[in-house]
Amino acid sequence: MLYEFRYLAPRTAGELVRILDERKNDGKILAGGTDLIPNIRNGLMKPRFVIDVKKTPEASTLAYSDADGLVIGTAITINDILRSATAQDKYPVLCVCAHELASHQIRNRATVTGNVVNASPCSDMAPALLCLDAKALLRSKDGQRSMPFKEFFTDVKKTVLKPGEYLERIEVPAESRGARGSYLKLKRIAGHDLGIVGVLMVRRGDDIRFAVSSAAPTPVLVDTVTSKDGPEEAVRKVLGAVSPISDVRGTKEYREHMIGVYVRRLLSEVK
Amino acid sequence: MKIKLTVNGLSYERECAEHRTLLRFIREDLGLTGTKEGCGMGECGACTVILNGRAVNSCMVLAVEADGAVIHTIEGEANGPALSDIQQAFENNHAVQCGFCTPGMVMSVKELLAQNPKPDATQIKEAVEGNFCRCTGYTQIVEAVMDLTGRPEEKGELKHV
Repeated sequence: MLYEFRYLAPRTAGELVRILDERKNDGKILAGGTDLIPNIRNGLMKPRFVIDVKKTPEASTLAYSDADGLVIGTAITINDILRSATAQDKYPVLCVCAHELASHQIRNRATVTGNVVNASPCSDMAPALLCLDAKALLRSKDGQRSMPFKEFFTDVKKTVLKPGEYLERIEVPAESRGARGSYLKLKRIAGHDLGIVGVLMVRRGDDIRFAVSSAAPTPVLVDTVTSKDGPEEAVRKVLGAVSPISDVRGTKEYREHMIGVYVRRLLSEVK
Repeated sequence: MKIKLTVNGLSYERECAEHRTLLRFIREDLGLTGTKEGCGMGECGACTVILNGRAVNSCMVLAVEADGAVIHTIEGEANGPALSDIQQAFENNHAVQCGFCTPGMVMSVKELLAQNPKPDATQIKEAVEGNFCRCTGYTQIVEAVMDLTGRPEEKGELKHV
């Protein structure tokens, strides 16, 4: 049973930022609800107001243009990405990460914006957005600002978002079109599970990127590996960028070992 | 807040508390108790219903979010004593043991078959990966779906993915 709160569903972006400003201290944003509602149920969050960001006209945007690249609004779910011919065709890396996220029912509700705003170290969409040079467009009543995802995550479950501000849309640039990649996520079971560690490798021509989930306070982008590096040099660079801990899902040593296994495997797989 | 929605083809208009989950609304306000609550936090899939054509965990949706929605639950499957095709395939293949996961399983399978009329074993397993069966009847569930849609070439025991 959930304790009582009020539900607000503003219909315009202007109304939304006004409400977010008024409810800076006692409001929480609701997108897919797959994290917020269990958190409320478990007493981890006690908002007086729950503010639905899916009801504005812009929220349902999932559109590609050469100028803006792929624009992803606040209501776009993980399965919307998987079902989008544009995403499959132009940004297959988004799809390989989306496919690894939770279960089918959760992918039908969970949003791309929610997955990054939660800023869990085990976010599955963050590695793709980091490797594809995506940008976050943030909006508050004071205006808009744009921020590359490389600077978006600040700590465990923390981002640059200020009280009263929300992630209005994600832009994946046109220049990242056609980048290919593969995401290896270590889990206890093949199905629905949180990752023990995840490694994404993306290749665009000679340019190689890695991004690692569940291995540091934030998802980590590693853009120092070059096509001239051998596998051991690549592993050394990736491990140098992360700082895994030991917890209930795995030890630091196990995570480091598996990152090495995955980096070597990806280098031979992603051509 | 007053909400209006369609469940199994019938329209309902109800006053609903804003913090009420869709699961509670369906079970307690509409009295449709076929949909089950297992974990209440999106892990088990017992509460799966079809919301505007998509299988979702109704424990993680607010009823007020579903204002205007079209919902399908297990009660919409059978027509009197006549089971739906999915239910009949589950029965024929002994894909029901204790039955607690079954309403959610059937809803997940229903969405799968609406999108993909002839799924292979991997696609079936992916569609129900968010539905836990603690009697562990997964093989029979996959067989039930394949029995309904026609197996591709593989005969005999299903290969485990």
